[in-house]
Amino acid sequence: MSEPALACLELSGVGMRYGEGDKALTALTSIELAIAEHEFVTIVGPSGCGKSTLLYLIAGFLRPTAGSLQLRGKPITKPGPDRGIVFQRYSLFPWLTVRANIGYGLAEQGTPRAERDRIVAEYVRMVHLEGCEDRYPRELSGGMQQRVALAQALACKPDILLMDEPFGALDAQTRRILQDEVRRIWRGGAATVLFITHDVEEAVALGTRIVVMSARPGRIKEVLTRDFDVGDGEDYDANPAFTRLKLRVWHSVKEEVDAARA
Amino acid sequence: MRLALTKLIPLALLLAAWQAASGAGVLPKSVLPSFVDVAASLAAMVRTGEIWPHTAASLGRAGAGFLIAVVAGVSLGLVMARVRAVEQGAEPILLLLYPVPKPAMIPLFMIWLGIGDFSKIAVIALACLLPVVVATFNGARSVDDILLWSARARGTSERRLLWRVILPAALPQVAAGVRTAIAVAIIVLVSSEFISSEKGLGYLIFSFGGVGADDAMLAVVIYLAILGYLLDRFYMAGIRRLLSWHAFTH
Repeated sequence: MSEPALACLELSGVGMRYGEGDKALTALTSIELAIAEHEFVTIVGPSGCGKSTLLYLIAGFLRPTAGSLQLRGKPITKPGPDRGIVFQRYSLFPWLTVRANIGYGLAEQGTPRAERDRIVAEYVRMVHLEGCEDRYPRELSGGMQQRVALAQALACKPDILLMDEPFGALDAQTRRILQDEVRRIWRGGAATVLFITHDVEEAVALGTRIVVMSARPGRIKEVLTRDFDVGDGEDYDANPAFTRLKLRVWHSVKEEVDAARA
Repeated sequence: MRLALTKLIPLALLLAAWQAASGAGVLPKSVLPSFVDVAASLAAMVRTGEIWPHTAASLGRAGAGFLIAVVAGVSLGLVMARVRAVEQGAEPILLLLYPVPKPAMIPLFMIWLGIGDFSKIAVIALACLLPVVVATFNGARSVDDILLWSARARGTSERRLLWRVILPAALPQVAAGVRTAIAVAIIVLVSSEFISSEKGLGYLIFSFGGVGADDAMLAVVIYLAILGYLLDRFYMAGIRRLLSWHAFTH
């Protein structure tokens, strides 16, 4: 597989250890990964493999104990609005309306009110939340809250969108609808996406490249490329190529789950 | 509305039983004046306007102490939640102060601040401070890490985090602490006015009690209860509006 020419995000030799001496725990080791502009990369692996840790390193919440991380050629040292993050839950501020939540990052960066309103309206439309602008997060369903979180992250026009199992707490139908939504937004060119999930089908349905991680200490086990398109609303399992790739990834992940259990 | 009235039935029965016991001679006047006498006494105090200057003096003292406590308590609680050294330094002092009956410190405060309003306001402020500090600290401490991360990732600096995220996230708990402080303010106010006062509802209770005017004394007690109840209702109505984003469980 050829390395992408223009890297949006580049990780080299990234490692993460918690604690010292005998009690030290290696969460991640020797992570090499380059993500090109406009790619959609999914990371899948058994729970506890360090995939969330990896995302937090990229977000700048944690500092790696080894290696380097670069976003568009600049080293990552702290959190910033150039990386839009969506968590599984609690990304929204409960005391702010949908409008204020989506405009939060813009307000923090001093975007003037009028321009902020215009951008917020654009993203409200993008995630289909028209009419909900003045509601508070607790008045929204889980799926709608994640739409707001997505719009909140995108409104800052990040270089990369980091998603940490964003649909993990949703029911199957809502999850499927939001998968189509994210794929549509990505196709529209809104952002490069790095998406973490423990759901193999989701990883294959969204990622054009699928990164499989090993059990702890987490390292990149293999990277698979999806060379066919997945359409919105398409029955995933009706496509034999999809099923083949899904099984391939599933076996790879299962080996790690078994290894972790042994 | 029907539910609100239903809730008042036990209270009405209690007052009726009190009045009946007085009328039947089970409760002689020397033990407890009748409810009607107490109510008449309260009505007279309101009609003649006798109670207003005392109410104003008391509310001024309680209000001043309460406001000082809210400002100082919220600030201290926030700083304690963010700065380890402040938390460790303040914690033993607060834990020691907590069980101290604050009215017992009034004589000491009088030595420091004189017998006027300042010593009363100071002791009210001290008593109200504790519930506010504890609630603010707990609220600020229990802010979800993900919320802080989310804010940082959207460009909020560490300094702005306090105003943009930690304080608003802690507000429901702060509001509960402030509500406790309202009740504490009234309790400590009355105690502080028992000692060396020429005005105030506590002074009224004390002086009526001293001359055996039990119906007037009880009238002021009931007046204080109504005042405290109304303050709490107004406060809660305001808080529900202000924090409409929050799902209150009570």
